[in-house]
Amino acid sequence: MSYLDLPIRAIHEALVAKKTTPVELAKEAIARAKADKENAFETIEEEKALAFAASLGEPEADNLLWGIPYLAKDNFSTKGIETTASSNILNGYVPLFDATVITKLKERKAVLIGKTTLDELAMGGTGTTGHKGITYNPFDPKHERLIGGSSCGSAAAVASSIVPFALGSDTGDSVRKPASYAGLVGMKPTWGRISRYGLFPFAPSLDHVAYFTRNVDDSAIVLEALSGRDEHDSTSSTKPVENYESHVKDGIKGKRIAIIKDINDSITNADLMRSFNASVDALRKEGAIVEDVLFGEKMLQSLYPTYMVISCAEATSNNANLDGIKFGPYYDGKSYAEAMYNARTKGFSELIKRRFIIGSYCLMRENKEELFLAAQRNRAKIVERLNEILKDYDFVYVPAAPSVAPLIHQLSDKLSAEYLIADNHLCLGNFAGLPSITVPLCLQNGLPIGVNLMGRAFEESDLFAAAEVIEEITGLANLSVLNRKEGNL
Amino acid sequence: MKTITIDVLKDAANRLLFDLTEAEYQTLYEEFGILTAQMKAIGETGDLSKYEPMTFPFDCETSFLREDEPVKPLSREEALSNASNKLNGQIKLPKVVL
Repeated sequence: MSYLDLPIRAIHEALVAKKTTPVELAKEAIARAKADKENAFETIEEEKALAFAASLGEPEADNLLWGIPYLAKDNFSTKGIETTASSNILNGYVPLFDATVITKLKERKAVLIGKTTLDELAMGGTGTTGHKGITYNPFDPKHERLIGGSSCGSAAAVASSIVPFALGSDTGDSVRKPASYAGLVGMKPTWGRISRYGLFPFAPSLDHVAYFTRNVDDSAIVLEALSGRDEHDSTSSTKPVENYESHVKDGIKGKRIAIIKDINDSITNADLMRSFNASVDALRKEGAIVEDVLFGEKMLQSLYPTYMVISCAEATSNNANLDGIKFGPYYDGKSYAEAMYNARTKGFSELIKRRFIIGSYCLMRENKEELFLAAQRNRAKIVERLNEILKDYDFVYVPAAPSVAPLIHQLSDKLSAEYLIADNHLCLGNFAGLPSITVPLCLQNGLPIGVNLMGRAFEESDLFAAAEVIEEITGLANLSVLNRKEGNL
Repeated sequence: MKTITIDVLKDAANRLLFDLTEAEYQTLYEEFGILTAQMKAIGETGDLSKYEPMTFPFDCETSFLREDEPVKPLSREEALSNASNKLNGQIKLPKVVL
């Protein structure tokens, strides 16, 4: 056990008491990063991290992130640090500015240790499509199982206790799903709560900054540091930032929780549902009112295709600037168009090209009304239904995934209810922009599965309080591969 | 809706300025079979005509005006620092007029 295995507040207390120093913590995080066996890293910034840690001076008792090491997914701009989004088309690209979240963490004197792998350009949910190859799940040392994506490296690193928190991004479920597979707390706050300036855009109407921690209290601490209006991002909210940590122990008495019955009905994993139902009983004992609600099966079955149409269409347009001219490797041609053609043909992987073509097809004049606009209208209908439920209930509570991390080459029936609903419902939170948090529920054969809570817009404090109760029920706070906790629910 | 053929997919790829291998086009063509079946679900959720296309989760309060304060722009060196092909302080491209 080292300080890196502890919650942020405990590390902070050790730093303030001078039992350890930012340099010691950074050195240990770097040593652990170098020993990483999961292929979680794009870069380890040893020199910069140690220099920054050494510059921090005296401990700041009122700053919980002072000297705390962290990692960022490699789709956040970091000045002077190569940032590729795990895509060959951005090899060698060194941003000239920091993303706002990187600036905020620098101001709080958190220490950036390195950048983590992702599914190429954050488009994918497996952690297998980045230009450095597959990122593995640390809970499966045989390297047969997915960690999930797209924020695969950040998930693997936090689960391996390399750092106590790591930044990710979440357009459909890219933090909250890997959090389920890696036994972590994965938080995607309200759309607009955290500035996206400097986050490489995938589908801006759905993109969120999100992050991993190993417990709910840490998640509340990190959200307060990241949140707030940013003049560089006109979609960032002007709503005041709360002291989220002060609400973590508020409890759940009298709160109303909706279980989406048609999501649960699509899950075939009986052990998972036994654990889930046990957690529901425990929530009732804590004073919550928990009731089944029907969302509408047809609408739930339309979630995944609606997500695919909207996200691929937005991505097609947002990535038009990746052409090998202004940045990225240049490939010559007879004309500038041919030079771009060569760069994009060589720079994008097959999966990315397929997604762009799907997006382009949905935007073709002949298809736009029937596909793209229909998907956008359907999104409005889905969001209306979700907000209807949240008029009567404080939270929606469901399993975050239908199983433990799948085997890497496992095939699934992509027309089944389990795939379309149970495996892909977390995009509800992106459609509606609502805060949504995954916390560990149980372990099956040593592999974690999480549950997800979603609340009303900008009511993150309530969400943390409810998530904390679940964490107390499961006893799975601070789960990591070094700190497995069997025999829970 | 436009019928999906390998040629339609190739046309879309070329308009997006990239190419795939023949095997990759075939994979994509097969993927479209599944996607099309999935997309049918969008039309089965009921009447969508009363809904406006949703482009953002919700309206957010923002300001489109900022103080007119001078800011330092990128230097030429900075602006060119990530371009791989440059000459005499400019990005070099193939001739447009031959």
